Amino acid sequence: MRVQAIDHAAMLPLYLAAAAAVTALFAGRFAKGACAIGLAAAAAAAVWVGLGPDRATFAVGEWHSYVADDAAMGAAALFAALAVLVAALSGRRGEEYWFLLAASAAGGVALAGARDLITLIVALETLTLPLYVLVTRPGRDGAEAGAVFLIASVTSSATALMGAALLYAASGTVHLGGLAAGLGGAHAGLTAAGAALLLAGLAFKLAAAPLHAWAPLVLERAPLPVATYLASASKLGGAVAVTWVVHFGLSGTASAGVVVAVLSTASIAVGNLGALVQRRTVSLLAWSGIAHAGYALAPLAVIATAAGRDQAGPAASAAFAYAVFFVLLEAGAFAALTAVRPDTEGGLAAATGRPLRPATANGTASGTADFPSDTGLPSGTGDLLASGERRTPGAGLQPGGPPESGLQASAGNAAPLDPPRRTPLAALQSGGPRESVLQADAVNVGPGGRIAELAGLWKAAPLPAAVLLFAVIGLAGLPPALAGTFAKVAVLEVLASSAVWLAVVVAAGAVVGLAYYLPLARVLLVGRAGRAPRRFAVAVALAGLALAAVSLAPQVVLDFTALSR
Amino acid sequence: MLVLAVALPAVGALAVWGLRRRPEAHWIGAGAAGFGFAAVALLPVGRGSGAWFAADGELTGGWWHQVAIDWAPSLHLEFSLAVDGISWTLALLTALLGVLCCVHNAIGAERRAADLLGADRSASAPLQVPAGTFETGGPPQGPDRVLGLRTGDRASAPLQEPPATVETEGPSPAASRAGGVPAGRDPASGSLQEPPGSFATGGPFPAAAPVHGVPAGAAGDGPESTEWHSPVLTALLLAVQAASTLVFLADNLVLFFIAFEAVLLPMWAIIHRYGDPAARRRAAAKFALFTVAGSLLMATGLFAAVADTGTADLGAIILHGGVSGDASLLVFALLALGFAVKAPLWPLHSWLPDAHTAAPTVGSVLLAGVLLKLGTYGLIRVAGGLAPDGAAAAAPVLAVLAALGILVAGLVCLRLPEIKRLIAYSSVGHMGFVVLAFAAGTEAGIRAALFGNLAHGLVTPLLFFLAGALKARTHTGSLAALGGLRLAAPALAGLLGFAALASLGLPGLAGFWGEAFTVYAAAERGGAWLALAAAAAFGAFLAAAYLLRMLRHVSHGPVAPAALGIGDVSGAEAAVWAPLVAGTLLLGLVPGPLLDLFSEGLL
Repeated sequence: MRVQAIDHAAMLPLYLAAAAAVTALFAGRFAKGACAIGLAAAAAAAVWVGLGPDRATFAVGEWHSYVADDAAMGAAALFAALAVLVAALSGRRGEEYWFLLAASAAGGVALAGARDLITLIVALETLTLPLYVLVTRPGRDGAEAGAVFLIASVTSSATALMGAALLYAASGTVHLGGLAAGLGGAHAGLTAAGAALLLAGLAFKLAAAPLHAWAPLVLERAPLPVATYLASASKLGGAVAVTWVVHFGLSGTASAGVVVAVLSTASIAVGNLGALVQRRTVSLLAWSGIAHAGYALAPLAVIATAAGRDQAGPAASAAFAYAVFFVLLEAGAFAALTAVRPDTEGGLAAATGRPLRPATANGTASGTADFPSDTGLPSGTGDLLASGERRTPGAGLQPGGPPESGLQASAGNAAPLDPPRRTPLAALQSGGPRESVLQADAVNVGPGGRIAELAGLWKAAPLPAAVLLFAVIGLAGLPPALAGTFAKVAVLEVLASSAVWLAVVVAAGAVVGLAYYLPLARVLLVGRAGRAPRRFAVAVALAGLALAAVSLAPQVVLDFTALSR
Repeated sequence: MLVLAVALPAVGALAVWGLRRRPEAHWIGAGAAGFGFAAVALLPVGRGSGAWFAADGELTGGWWHQVAIDWAPSLHLEFSLAVDGISWTLALLTALLGVLCCVHNAIGAERRAADLLGADRSASAPLQVPAGTFETGGPPQGPDRVLGLRTGDRASAPLQEPPATVETEGPSPAASRAGGVPAGRDPASGSLQEPPGSFATGGPFPAAAPVHGVPAGAAGDGPESTEWHSPVLTALLLAVQAASTLVFLADNLVLFFIAFEAVLLPMWAIIHRYGDPAARRRAAAKFALFTVAGSLLMATGLFAAVADTGTADLGAIILHGGVSGDASLLVFALLALGFAVKAPLWPLHSWLPDAHTAAPTVGSVLLAGVLLKLGTYGLIRVAGGLAPDGAAAAAPVLAVLAALGILVAGLVCLRLPEIKRLIAYSSVGHMGFVVLAFAAGTEAGIRAALFGNLAHGLVTPLLFFLAGALKARTHTGSLAALGGLRLAAPALAGLLGFAALASLGLPGLAGFWGEAFTVYAAAERGGAWLALAAAAAFGAFLAAAYLLRMLRHVSHGPVAPAALGIGDVSGAEAAVWAPLVAGTLLLGLVPGPLLDLFSEGLL
């Protein structure tokens, strides 16, 4: 038996990302540095490998399981860079946090290079698994978010695995390259069922309808840096997985195109309509993100027709390019939002989930103790995080600390209550007496807060406001935020040539999108400025610079998103 | 020079925005717009012959100038600008209106500042303009200009009114401050001597006084907030100017789309932020949604054309006769739908009256003068050029819609009670003429369309400037509440009459050629087109009816309480309006050179 030579250069970004995760686990107080530096190195390595010749390894016959071409390395660099951004936005955390973040990023890097169904699904699970823990803020709401995410994710993974199994049964191979050939004479019904299950399961990560319902809830309740990661890197993971499967594996399968078309139109409709009624910033971004998932999937749908199949390459490139522009914009928006929201995570473990309950100063344990037993894992993870927090020096919750620190903590707990009080207008607009509004806020509003609380942000914190404004306008697809315009142009160019009806759907969705993005942009600009914390200036500035760069030189993105076989 | 024409206003917008706290920001903006105008005006220098010739297998030479820089080749996006006779005239119009709006804004701000200084002393700051500036108001507006001078002189004498004015205006302090009007000496209006007794209808002066008695800026910017003349508005105007110029000069379809979209946000902000407080939010939202829907449909059409031809070079596609036959109708339908929203063509016009009515004066001016031109320019050059076969096939539909638009606009205008809304609706009618002329498809028709387009871009902005001045003075736009402007402010009334006559297509003024040749072009096609020509002619008659009705309400009759004691045209205003008046006369009297420019353009 011959032992296959492994191209270690191709694997270098993955090695570095995995090393970052392991180092973070053991680095103690240097965990954050280890995580950030390791991931930055992984991003740099990905760029270096990507600039060199295309590499591939783990071959079975002519098909490779791991490929390091331009698109893969571009995506890998993006995964690592987004994780670094999230790390920079996270403030102080327990070292588990950094390990989990780096592990998730390593999953993303592996996903970018994956070219067979098994590697792809394992990588996607590696990307997702740490997030079960990360999304769970201590407290009942956080636990609910974690449980929802867990259940939805496990369901979709099972769906995707089932689909993969059916495709394997139909084609006799799991390599994406082999699927294209193997499905030629396969049973059409089996292929269609497999493609439908696999794509629907993968689209879960992208939060495409009909498996979208987790996204608004989880994003809203997760800590903001984690929400940033979910909205950017995790969605990129979903987009990459779907694009890879469709482009490399199913580009000759019409039924896959039909499935994608259904997913896409459903997402555009559901996401836009859902976003119209949102009053909280994160919810708005989450629902509109569902619509954007629909736009990103739309070009892939052209393979449903024979004429469109000639366009499969450009279509997949357009979908990938849209996803890249979109996650950059989302990352910018969430980064800016994180920077201007009061820090509810910093070390107040259990209390933040239920700010109205006063007696939480001393106890993360009491915060998690009264959970119903069916959410056992999340409450356990709450403990895990909380124990991490307790060891953090800045937490103000040192074990056995004096009662003053407890008081401080409860004073801090009130922080999420403050913004609504500062903006009576918000209370008035929502109708109803102020008390009830406050109560509702306290229970339902996650760390992202209401849109009305962002009023006058332009005056209070110009830099994050500028980045947020740029990102919001970009998501609406309007100049001068050209990143979003280019994304829209890329998608429409493909659709206009082979699926005009879908282009009209996308256009209609974008028009509806304007109805909620423009008011959001307006809120940022006008109104009396409240207090806004100004943190993470460097991270926000870098996100802004990245957005400006891709706006001026879109070819950078378009080069590596051009997919070849 | 091409790049400068676009870059100067854009840089100016950034500079003004950056320096928005400085008092001179307005003038920086006006300067940037002025330089942009100069850059556009210099474009004909060194232009080619206008004939296309083959060189190196490529057709070149038809553009006057051309510049191309790669931007994003994967998207077929190239920063590629080109200019010829058709786009140059529209770019020039855009630049001109940009300068005028910026200057208007700057003057408004200066006046406000002066008002704030002089309010305590009840000085008549609004009209304290050195008489020297009247020299610039040089349109051949003989009698009116004389009166304007006289009024200006009079106004700078606060509270010391000559007896004649006290007679006509009554003793209201506000009225006397804002400048008297030598009512009996207005030679422009036929009936001279109103008996003094008729002024009793002016009502109880003490009651009226509070209405006009705004201490500062009675003749300036009444109901608007303090930010009305904010430098940010100037910055937004410059942004609109830059983006619109880019639309007219773009030689790349993707760039065209991006520029088309770039117009939207600044214009939305202008309406939303500086518009009429009662209606601006709805109007701005409506404008944005309609426009984006249109431009995305247009984008789909553009990209379908790009996919069909494999290039996004506008000139090249037009020269090769557009897209292939099967795609032609689809491309044209998508493009026409998109541009019809912008133009606007009935029944997609419903955003326009709201937006115009709610927008501030400069916003309305740019909307009418520039944004509507984006639609018609796109329809004529891009839609017609990319898909000539589709255009021919769809022409009857377009023509019927256009004729219906003319009639509907005319009938609606007959009953509209508000002056800005009336002017806005009249735009629907005028654009109907342009589209009808384009649909006729003959050479005369295309020229009439281009000409009518340009004429509308001069006349309607003038009407909006006048209506804005009127609303600022009287604080009402309601036709029922206005009256007697001829007596209260003869120069203003004279200009309004001039603009209305130009708008209704009086021979010798700009509006005539476009509309007359539209009817001619439609009639030329014979058959059912004769009916459309008749409808258009009837629409022109309706235009005369409603514009004269407007004049009757606004200018004639006894002086309404709202119009009492308003100031006449100030020198600064005259300076802003003069180019439009001059342009209207010039186009009306000497249409030849312009038609020659059009004939060498690429269509």
